[in-house]
Amino acid sequence: MEFEGCNCFRQRLVLSTLSGKRVKIRNIRSKDDNPGLRDFEASFIRLLDKVTNGTRIEINQTGTVLFYQPGLLYGGSVEHECNVQRSIGYYLEALLMLAPFMKTPLRAVLKGVTNDPTDPSVSVLKRGMAPAGGGEVLFTCPVRRSMKPVHLTEPGKIKRIRGTAFSVRVSPQMANRIVDSARSILNKFIPDIYIYTDHMKGASSGKSPGFGLTLVAETVNGTFLGAEVVSTPQGQGDPVLPEDLGRNCAKLLLEEVYRGGCVDSTNQSLSLLYMTLGQQDVSKTLLGPLSPYTVEFLRHIRDFFQIMFKIEQQKPGEDEQKGGEKVLMTCVGAGYSNINKTIK
Amino acid sequence: MEKKEQKRHQHKHSGPKAQKKNRKKEQGTEQGQDERKRNPRAFSVQSAVRMARTFHRAQDIKTKKHHIPLVDRTPLEPPPVVVVVMGPPKVGKSTLIRCLIKNYTRQKLSDICGPVTIVSGKKRRLTLIECNNDINSMIDLAKVADLVLMLIDASFGFEMETFEFLNICQVHGFPRVMGVLTHLDTFKNNKTLSKTKKRLKHRFWTEVYQGAKLFYLSGMVYGEYQTQEVKNLGRFISVMKFRPLVWRTSHPYVVADRMEDLTDPETIRLDPKCDRTVSLYGYLRGTFLKNKCQVHIPGVGDFSVADVSFLPDPCPLPEVIKKRALNVKERLLYAPLAGVGGLVYDKDAVYIDMPSGHASQQQEEVRPTTELVQSLIGTQATLDAKMAASKVSLFTGTAALTPEENPMESREWDEKAQRERRRAVFADEDEEDDDEEEEESDEEEEEEEEEEEDEDEEGLITLKKEDEKAVETAAPPVKKQKIEEPMEMPAFADSDDELEKSEGEESEEEEEGDEENEEMEEGEPAKRSSGPDSGLCSEEDDEDEEEDSDMDEDADGIVKFKHPEEEKIDTEDAEMAYETTGTLSMIYPSDYIKYVFFLVCFFWDVFVEGALRWKEDLSKKASEAYLRHQLAAPNLRKLVYGTVAEEEEEDSNDEEELGGLFKVSRPERSKKVRADAMDCSRFHPDSSHDWDQEEVRSSIRDCFVTGKWEEDKDAATLLKEDDELYGDFEDLETGEVHKAKTGNKDKEEEEEAPQVKLDDDEVQKNKRLEKKRRLKERFDAQYDDGDATYFDDLKEEMQKQAELNRQEFEDVDDEVRVQYEGFRPGMYVRVEIPALPCEFVTNFDPHYPIVLGGLGPSEGNVGYLQMRLKKHRWHSRILKTRDPLILSLGWRRFQTMPLYYIEDHNGRHRLLKYTPEHMHCGATIWGPITPQGTGFLAVQTVGGFKANFRIAATGVVLDLDKSVTIVKKLKLIGYPYKIFKNTCFIQGMFNTVLEVAKFEGASVRTVSGIKGQIKKALRTPPGAFRATFEDRLLMSDIVFLRSWYPVSVPQLYNPVTSLLMPVGQKDTWAGMRTLGQLKHDLGIRNKPNQDSLYKPVVRQVRHFNTLHIPKELQKALPFKNKPKQMQAKGKTPRDLQRPAVIREPHEKKVAALLDALSSVYAYKNKKAKAEQHAKHKEFLKQKEKQDAERQKRLKEERKKTYRAMGQKEKKKLKSSLKGASKDN
Repeated sequence: MEFEGCNCFRQRLVLSTLSGKRVKIRNIRSKDDNPGLRDFEASFIRLLDKVTNGTRIEINQTGTVLFYQPGLLYGGSVEHECNVQRSIGYYLEALLMLAPFMKTPLRAVLKGVTNDPTDPSVSVLKRGMAPAGGGEVLFTCPVRRSMKPVHLTEPGKIKRIRGTAFSVRVSPQMANRIVDSARSILNKFIPDIYIYTDHMKGASSGKSPGFGLTLVAETVNGTFLGAEVVSTPQGQGDPVLPEDLGRNCAKLLLEEVYRGGCVDSTNQSLSLLYMTLGQQDVSKTLLGPLSPYTVEFLRHIRDFFQIMFKIEQQKPGEDEQKGGEKVLMTCVGAGYSNINKTIK
Repeated sequence: MEKKEQKRHQHKHSGPKAQKKNRKKEQGTEQGQDERKRNPRAFSVQSAVRMARTFHRAQDIKTKKHHIPLVDRTPLEPPPVVVVVMGPPKVGKSTLIRCLIKNYTRQKLSDICGPVTIVSGKKRRLTLIECNNDINSMIDLAKVADLVLMLIDASFGFEMETFEFLNICQVHGFPRVMGVLTHLDTFKNNKTLSKTKKRLKHRFWTEVYQGAKLFYLSGMVYGEYQTQEVKNLGRFISVMKFRPLVWRTSHPYVVADRMEDLTDPETIRLDPKCDRTVSLYGYLRGTFLKNKCQVHIPGVGDFSVADVSFLPDPCPLPEVIKKRALNVKERLLYAPLAGVGGLVYDKDAVYIDMPSGHASQQQEEVRPTTELVQSLIGTQATLDAKMAASKVSLFTGTAALTPEENPMESREWDEKAQRERRRAVFADEDEEDDDEEEEESDEEEEEEEEEEEDEDEEGLITLKKEDEKAVETAAPPVKKQKIEEPMEMPAFADSDDELEKSEGEESEEEEEGDEENEEMEEGEPAKRSSGPDSGLCSEEDDEDEEEDSDMDEDADGIVKFKHPEEEKIDTEDAEMAYETTGTLSMIYPSDYIKYVFFLVCFFWDVFVEGALRWKEDLSKKASEAYLRHQLAAPNLRKLVYGTVAEEEEEDSNDEEELGGLFKVSRPERSKKVRADAMDCSRFHPDSSHDWDQEEVRSSIRDCFVTGKWEEDKDAATLLKEDDELYGDFEDLETGEVHKAKTGNKDKEEEEEAPQVKLDDDEVQKNKRLEKKRRLKERFDAQYDDGDATYFDDLKEEMQKQAELNRQEFEDVDDEVRVQYEGFRPGMYVRVEIPALPCEFVTNFDPHYPIVLGGLGPSEGNVGYLQMRLKKHRWHSRILKTRDPLILSLGWRRFQTMPLYYIEDHNGRHRLLKYTPEHMHCGATIWGPITPQGTGFLAVQTVGGFKANFRIAATGVVLDLDKSVTIVKKLKLIGYPYKIFKNTCFIQGMFNTVLEVAKFEGASVRTVSGIKGQIKKALRTPPGAFRATFEDRLLMSDIVFLRSWYPVSVPQLYNPVTSLLMPVGQKDTWAGMRTLGQLKHDLGIRNKPNQDSLYKPVVRQVRHFNTLHIPKELQKALPFKNKPKQMQAKGKTPRDLQRPAVIREPHEKKVAALLDALSSVYAYKNKKAKAEQHAKHKEFLKQKEKQDAERQKRLKEERKKTYRAMGQKEKKKLKSSLKGASKDN
């Protein structure tokens, strides 16, 4: 299959690895001043190479053309030094998609930037802020033979909100200020809020200063919606006040609640992938409005697995006050089974 | 020799014996009732352990019966059951099929080739396939068979083929097998007959399972089996139940019953060996088939499907289920390869047969048979050798045609068929367009190209006579021809092709013809050309489509464009058109109307006038259409996937804010912009809400537990329900009686919903029903599921899932449904496969089954497979590593070179040279990735009958990988050249320092068992190293290094291409030969290694050095052990040597006498000594005797004395006791 440009780079490589179809990506930043693959993409390819066996990767001299022939997912113990241009979340999102389909359970130690404003954060062993990084993440995942169909159509009501306000190499008071401001907004909705403050010191605080807030809303049916905001890296852009950050994050969570669904907007694609790779049964998931990334992902799923989702919109009722429109995604699984796992 | 009839035993009816018996009988009944009472001990628990064991065993047996519950995925209308009739040659296979067909359909089929599909009952169809005596066919058919009728010649007994087939079946999931014994009339003797039957039956049972059905066909009547027996067999087949097999439920497959070559005849003419495009037809089985998936055709190879479309069922089940049996019209038969079912298959033409009597009827009412024929006619167009007519269906105004004038054509141009046809066929037009443009340089060929283009144009043919000159002049040389014929009428379908475009748009079109990207750059507002992509819709709209959409407005979604002038076309015109081009001839025999469609040349046309006319107020209409769509819900699906199969249009101008919520621009449009965008999964909304405002905040109020709940989940309601359930109770302690508050509730409800009063009754009713349901659910949960096991829960879950699967897409249109689900099993599909080898078509033999096996994701790749393998116990020879072997794995048959290994205790995979005789071993091959757990079988050759049992091995796939772990033993030998104490220098093991460096620390051993370790490389000689040992080595010692060397598996994956062999030689495929075969064929004898030959053993005599004892040690030794200082005597000098004595005669005599005397003396002495010895012996004997006597005597005496002493002692003791007692 052939693609153009470096958009959805991870999706393409991940889906290619899962479906066994080879991929050729042309014109990667060919018109750019700095053409070709960036360091973080190269690092991502290297990570893929580490967790697979028999992968063939060809990149042309300028780095504008990539040919990727996937091997078999191997797993095992992997240690990877992630490039600091993107945070570990960038790499981890792809690993999350691949991890259940490995030969041996994955145990990956990723080192690099744990929190930055662009990518989703991860809970960590050591924190490391952009730009210098120095954080560490351990990710383990068991392997599965096949996926069960998913039925997530009833998100339920939010019963509590939890969160972590973290600060590294800044005053520990920052975290408290964040918590206060975030609570000031969220308290109007629900009293059960607990936001941990997490101030890391010494070796586990990475190399750069920064602070941020992660909020998770849990519903009675056990679905989670998350939101997070991280301060801008030191020396890049305007400095952020912790109060503003807390408020913004709380509003972001409310926005996420407004969108609703059983999966938050960041993880839509992951849930859709697991639906696709399920057995040949009908799976259903209720999502909020599809993010552009998810839409791209849906297109790629169609290209790689020939699976289309039935997309039904659910308009909110007149007297209901449950946020915006929802989308009910329905698909028949591809009947995918983990061909990497050994049987004895 | 009649036996004397023995007198039978007579039971007594009266007398004491009879009475006794009667009494017993009466008691017996009573006993049964109160046995437990009468003999309670017999029923009491004797041993708890024993009871536990019994219980355990009972549970075991119960659990063993459980199967893992699976989701029931059988389609509502299942595909026909594949019945494979198998057996050695001349056993009556064809006769049986003929009889079965006759039994079911009352039709006689003379020549059976290819699958025959018949309707056998109200709910069942059968596809009968004959399996010829070729292992390729046997393997392929065993993979697709649902039921195997295994014919056995009873007069001969079992043949190897039967057993081979059974083994093949076993490996690929066991289908139902029913044995049929034939040739039973050859037995003259009844007894031998029954004996043979019994013998065969029991042998059959051991192979299949105990109690497997074996059918007897006793004799033939006029060359056919007896009707009653065939009927019985048919009944058995009709009621047979089938179990799902793992491989088949996870892979789609099609047993092709029709094949058509779609290749352009011109390309064939130019290059008869060019790759062919072929469409294959058949019922889809197994599971959902996705468009553009990979398929494997066993015997040909792997191909990716260009297009799949579903056709109306040519052999449908009766629509209305009646109580009684089928009527004659419902007993359909479909066998295109055999030339039945309305079609006779010829090389480049298709004959449609139908009895003339039916013809008029069929016009009036559309019955299944008619549909069948019509569909076939419609699809038949594909076959044409002159054009890929599959994409073409003739289109004329249906209303204009009067059926009386030309009945056949009216059927052909059936509106419905036309429409379905058009919809079914999709193709990548872009590619074809490109091709066309390339080709179009030649003016001469233009006419043919027109035809091609017509073929490309899906679902639309404009039939008319054409002025060829006008064509040539009007056509621009590089572009497609546009003919200006204002008088002619347009005939449009909604296919979006440039062909339909007006001349005025030509300039635009030229640009459109190019890549869409260019178009983007040019900023052309929405002129894109694309055809509806097959199965998965294309992502763009077309201006033409917009136009069509306008039509849609009138025709309510269905494109039914009818031009006023269309009526002009009548059938005669069409016929003339045919005749002028000489492509159609019609023959009218008396009984049949036989239409021979030769490749019909279709003309295309562009009707500028018409096009312009209806494009006039395009923009206005478009905007209207857009408005209308805006009112409807924004179609998210279209946003995500582009155009849908439904003819819903979307204006290209207004993509920006569709749905208000979704700001997704279409992929092609903004591709340039977004191709290099940031790859991030976070979604930052453009218009975030202002959460400081109260009304915004209240919009999500209900998302929290603090908000309002739905009525059925509200805590208050739930409480109320609980009240109703458990409301009435009396508090025993206080004596208070609580009553359910019914009145209050009503009030509350009234308060809650005053506005719902309008349809209050209905609401109330619903509510009540809902409440009842919930109560029942709760009751069930409480009382039924008390003993629900995990197994029951699982089963229920599966059932729910199955129901959901069935319901989810039930009401969706098939066109759309196939896009979501894929083509579901039971559909009759047409699969178009490009780039098939030409031999597939030229050497086509309908007797050989063509199976299209769908492949799962990444099953088209190649890698290393680890499998567990066992040589078949009936195969006479063991298998050799690296000998090519033909494997049947998954759908595939291929030749590969396996390496056999065995797993050591430490998990090492050690290479074996041969397979073990009666044991499993591992095997690694380079082959197609196939899911683990898939069974396979191996044969050494597929051609000829060299082995008496051809199946060499069976096994199962264990693991897939991209690397191999097999090692073989490697023994390196070195020799010490310098020995220190425990250290020595060793050479000859390695050649370079580097090699040694790799083995530093490795353990070595000598022949005598001294262990050691490699320490470090020496500089000279290269490859020498220092090693230490646990003891001192000798120079004569040999040092071994035992290590493991990884072996590589030869990457041979050679699919068996038996279907490509010439007709009649399809069972002669020979792949790579084994080394043994090669040597045999080339007459090469093995030259053995000279060292391996046996030679007489010549042993050198070994010389040992003398023992050297150090001087110090010598001193310390005792004299006895001291080495004696025996100087070697030198030669006695001559003077010291004594001369020999020579005697005189006299002296001689004296000496002789002395000798004699001394010998006499010696003799005497000797004699005396012997005597003395004898005497002494005697003396000793006597002395011994005396001694013995003496001893005896002494003993006696001693005894006496002891006794006396003892008595004395006793007395003493007694007296002392007495004294003591006295004292007391």
